[in-house]
Amino acid sequence: MKDLVLMKGIKKSFGKVQALKGVDFRVGESEIVGLLGDNGAGKSTLIKILVGYHQPDEGEIYFKGERVNFRSPWDARAAGIETVYQDLALVNLMPIWRNFFLGRELRTSLGFLKVREMKKITLEFLKKEVGITLRSADETVAFLSGGERQAVAIARAIYFGASLLILDEPTAALSVGETRMILNHILEAKKKGIAVVFITHNIYHVYEVADRLVLLEKGEKIGDYMKDEITPEKVMDIIAAAALGKP
Amino acid sequence: MKKKRFFMIKELGAIIGTVVFLIFFSIMNRNFLTVENLMSTLTMASELGIMAVGITLLMISGEFDLSVGSVFAIVPMISAISINSNMNPILAVSLSLLVAIGIGIMNGVITIFTGIPSFITTLGTMMFWRGIILAVTGGFSIMLEKKVGFLNLFGGLIVGEIRFSTVWFMLFAILFGIILERTRFGNWCFATGGNLGASIALGIPVKSVKMTNFIVSSLLAGISGITTFARFKVVDPTFGQGMELEAIASAVIGGTLLSGGYGSILGTFIGAFMIGMVQSGLVLIGAPAYWYRAFVGVILVIAAIINSWIRKRVAG
Repeated sequence: MKDLVLMKGIKKSFGKVQALKGVDFRVGESEIVGLLGDNGAGKSTLIKILVGYHQPDEGEIYFKGERVNFRSPWDARAAGIETVYQDLALVNLMPIWRNFFLGRELRTSLGFLKVREMKKITLEFLKKEVGITLRSADETVAFLSGGERQAVAIARAIYFGASLLILDEPTAALSVGETRMILNHILEAKKKGIAVVFITHNIYHVYEVADRLVLLEKGEKIGDYMKDEITPEKVMDIIAAAALGKP
Repeated sequence: MKKKRFFMIKELGAIIGTVVFLIFFSIMNRNFLTVENLMSTLTMASELGIMAVGITLLMISGEFDLSVGSVFAIVPMISAISINSNMNPILAVSLSLLVAIGIGIMNGVITIFTGIPSFITTLGTMMFWRGIILAVTGGFSIMLEKKVGFLNLFGGLIVGEIRFSTVWFMLFAILFGIILERTRFGNWCFATGGNLGASIALGIPVKSVKMTNFIVSSLLAGISGITTFARFKVVDPTFGQGMELEAIASAVIGGTLLSGGYGSILGTFIGAFMIGMVQSGLVLIGAPAYWYRAFVGVILVIAAIINSWIRKRVAG
C-alpha cells in the first residue's frame, strides 16, 4: 500500500519530559489506523506534530510522498488533513453553519459571506452524509448530542475533501448507539478513499473498523500489527505490560 | 418552535428594558418624550456608544479593554495641546488617533505574547495612561484656545439637534455590525472568543484576530474622546474615568457575554441608548445626579441575569 503519511524518528520534549523518543509512524492510502496507548503515551503529541500544532525536535514527515513541515494547523488543513479533537471540534455558541464552514467560509468577490448558500449546503450535506436532519442551520451546536457533534465534524472533513481524517478519542464520551454510528461514518469515509487515524485507549471501539493497530507507550512505539495478526486481548496485554513494566 | 425563535434574538433583554424605561420616564415627566430630550439622549448614547462598539468586538473575541477610559482622555488631550501649539488640526487629530492605535497595539502585544489576562494588562495600562495625563496636565483642564471648524465634524450639530457624533456612532455600528455578522473576520471573532482551542486547531489566526480588535477598541475609544472634546472644547484630566465600565455595561446589557463568543453590535447600540436614557431621564425627573451610577449598576445586574437566562434557552 502506498504511504499517505510517513513520520520517521520523531522526537519531542517539553521541558525535561521527553514525550516522543524517536517514533516512526505511517498511514497508507484509505487505511484506517488505530493509534492506541495509555494516557500520556504520546498519541496526541504525535498527531499534533503531524498537523503542525507542535514542531518536532527531530525527525522527518512526508505527506503524499513529499517532505512537509506544517507550521500551523492551517497549513495541514490546506494540504488535506482534517483533525477532529474531542473537545475542540466545534464552537458551541455558534450556529451549525458557521461551524461547518469555519476557516473555509464561502465569500462573494467583495468579501462578504455567502450566508444563504452556506446554510443550504450545511443542511443538505449533513442530511445526505451523516443522516442528521436539522430544523435550521441557525441552531447552535449546543443543541446537538455528543455523537452528532462528532458526526458534523466528520462530515465537514469529508465535504472539504480531506485525504486524511484524524479523530482524537471520538467515542470516548458516547453511548453505545452513538459509538456505532461514528464507526459507520468512519467506514463510509474509507469507502470515499479517505484514510483515518483513530486515536483511542479503548481497543474494542477501534478493533472493529481498523485495518492496522499502532501501539504507543511512554513516547515509544511498542507495536505495529495488521488487525488479522492480533486479538484485542493481546493488544490490552501488551499495553498493560508496557505501562507496568520496565521504564 | 416559535417560542425558541423569539428567545434566539440576542438583543431581547435590551429591547424590553429600553421600552420599560421609555414608558417609565415618559409617565414621570412629560418632557421626556420630546424631540429635544431624545436628541440629547442620543448624543450621550453616541459618545459612549462609539467606545462600546469597539469594546463589544473585543469582548466577543474573548478579551477585555479597561484602558479605553484613559484613551478617551489622552487622545483629545494630545489633540488640544497640539492644536494650541499651532499644529494643523487635521494633523493633530490624526496624530492623536495614531497614539490610540499605538496604545491598542501595546495592550495586544502584552496580552498575546505574555499570556496574562487582558483584564490585568489593560487595568495596568488604564492606570498608567491616566497617571501620564494627570502628570502632564498637573490636574488642570486644557481649553481649546481657538475656533477649529474641523472639530465640528466630530461633535458639532448637523441638523436640528442631531450631532455629528450620532452619525459617527450609526456609521460605526453599521460598519462593525456588518463586519461581525457578514464577513469571515466576524466569524473568526466569534470562534476565537467561543472556543480558543478549537479555533487554533482549525487554523484560525487567533492572535491577529485579537490584535486587530485591541486596536479597533482603542481607536474607537479615541474617536469617542474626540467627539466629546469637540462638543465641550475642553479636556479635563478626569475625562472618561469610569467610562470603560459604562461601555462594558452597554455591551453586557445588549447581550454580549463577558466570557466571549457571543454578542451583537445592535445589542450594544441599544444598551448604550438605554444608559443615555437613564442619564437624561433621571435629570428630568429631578433625581440628584448621584443616583445615575446606582441606577446603571442595578440595570447591569438585572440585564446580566436576564441574558444568562435567555442564553440557556438558546445554547443549553
